[in-house]
Amino acid sequence: MGITTTIPAEIVYAAGWRPIDLNNIFIAGENPSQAVDKAEQAGFPRNICGWIKGLYTTLLESPEIEQVIAVTQGDCSNTHALMETWQCAGRTVIPFAYPYDGDYDLLKLQMEKLIKALNTDWDSVYLWKQKLDRIRAKAHKLDQLTWEKGTIDGKTNHLALVGCSDFNGDPDSYDLYLDELLASSEGQEQKGSVRLGYVGVPPITLDFYDYVKEQGGQIVFNEVQRQFAMPFDEQDVVKQYQKYTYPYSIFHRLQDMECEIKRRKIDGIIHYTQSFCFRQIEDLILRQKLDVPLLTLEGDRPGLLDARSRMRLDAFIDMLSY
Amino acid sequence: MNIGLDLGSRFVKAVFFQKGEMVEQRYYDTLEFYRHYGRKVNDNLVIDDKALGWPAYNKVVSTGYGRNLLQVQGGQVIPELRAHTEGAKYQTGLQDFTLLDLGGQDSKVIKVQKGRMVDFRTNDKCAASSGRYLENMALVLGMKVEDLSSCHSYPVTLSSTCAVFGESELIGRIIEGHSLESLAAGVNETIVKRVEPMLRELYSTTVIFTGGVAYNKAIRSMLEQSLDVKVIVPKYPQLNGAIGCATYIGT
Repeated sequence: MGITTTIPAEIVYAAGWRPIDLNNIFIAGENPSQAVDKAEQAGFPRNICGWIKGLYTTLLESPEIEQVIAVTQGDCSNTHALMETWQCAGRTVIPFAYPYDGDYDLLKLQMEKLIKALNTDWDSVYLWKQKLDRIRAKAHKLDQLTWEKGTIDGKTNHLALVGCSDFNGDPDSYDLYLDELLASSEGQEQKGSVRLGYVGVPPITLDFYDYVKEQGGQIVFNEVQRQFAMPFDEQDVVKQYQKYTYPYSIFHRLQDMECEIKRRKIDGIIHYTQSFCFRQIEDLILRQKLDVPLLTLEGDRPGLLDARSRMRLDAFIDMLSY
Repeated sequence: MNIGLDLGSRFVKAVFFQKGEMVEQRYYDTLEFYRHYGRKVNDNLVIDDKALGWPAYNKVVSTGYGRNLLQVQGGQVIPELRAHTEGAKYQTGLQDFTLLDLGGQDSKVIKVQKGRMVDFRTNDKCAASSGRYLENMALVLGMKVEDLSSCHSYPVTLSSTCAVFGESELIGRIIEGHSLESLAAGVNETIVKRVEPMLRELYSTTVIFTGGVAYNKAIRSMLEQSLDVKVIVPKYPQLNGAIGCATYIGT
């Protein structure tokens, strides 16, 4: 079961499906750049988000993915047209919408509809929640080691948390993967001169984390990736996805950012946005509301950071370190 | 002898400092420089001092676009915005200002307080407010880029979004029969409109204006009028980054 972003994975697992986050297999694929090219050749405009184009090709080239759950509200409105192009290509799409205001009843209704569509029930969902929460607890531990002890670097943190959207379709293996990361973290300590937070969608650029580390920056907070791991102790599964900040208003996310900036003693924030994304507008709100220096970084296609982005990162880290 | 080197997108600038004083400066076309005097060896830029005819020197500090691609072998590299900040401080003696650097392909706005860079903005993947844009537009108008400098009255309205589409827009305006001065003033105003939001965001009452575009007096006066600021163009606007490198040695 393909997913276009984080959805209640418990429901998919409870129904006996394996969720596969299309974003992860697109960007970790052999040639993500070519996936974007192919979507453009199919007619996707040049000035549309690279993730959308990558997802389009990725699904069409993954015959093992039988259906896809597309998030039509709370992620990106381009998904509407994306799912329509998939439907045109004969793929089955199940829409899922996070209510903008985070309304409990509406969210519960959406989850119920998904439960019905996949032919499962709440009891099974709760059983899976217990199992997934045990794995998430390890991801939370790993996140804590990142900012508190510095024994996990920003990239490892990013990979471990971002994967919690689907647990790579195999929660048992994911559990082991996290165990290994936790075991290997002992003894190592990352020491960057500047403590940075990364906010916004995960980067489409492939060398972002390595480059920041090379320049003396230490990423101690990956905002959205951390949200994918549901960093809250919440028994009610509907409330869990209500607390999940990413699909709702920027103010919801801001509260979380402000709290973590303080807790993690962050010197500066890197706000990543995709070219052509509505979230570029939200940048001005972050600049107004956050009281630490903020660098806006823009990415378009998969690949290495361009000279401009490197220059900006250099300047930002340099500025914060002297 | 210390050398400050700014590896820009259009020109490579080298300044030579002896006992804290600039004794010489040289400009090289960027393409020519890499073709004849520099080559990349293991991610380092190896410079052919002999071919360049440089005097013996103690140290070379460089900066420039994508500085990490081009670490001069045996030299020190500093981030581009730091080089510009240091250069502006050295050239003006000021500690509190907003620096506007409009170079060959990019624009930078840096806020400096008490001698430290506290915030910055740069343009994103677009050369609309750069020297290259002015060169293109001057070519369309059949003028020298230097002559744009005196044109500030009755600017025609031009879209400030794209250096390439701007050309066809300008041609459309020429057909409408506007005077050359109005057209040139419109080109200058485009630059001002483009950088104005960044300057307002990082506002200071004093703006230090550097980069090749700073030679354009019309843009300078338009900036003063629209932002109500004092614009200072240091003696060597185009060498500011290189001077920042050379003087960085002394700090």
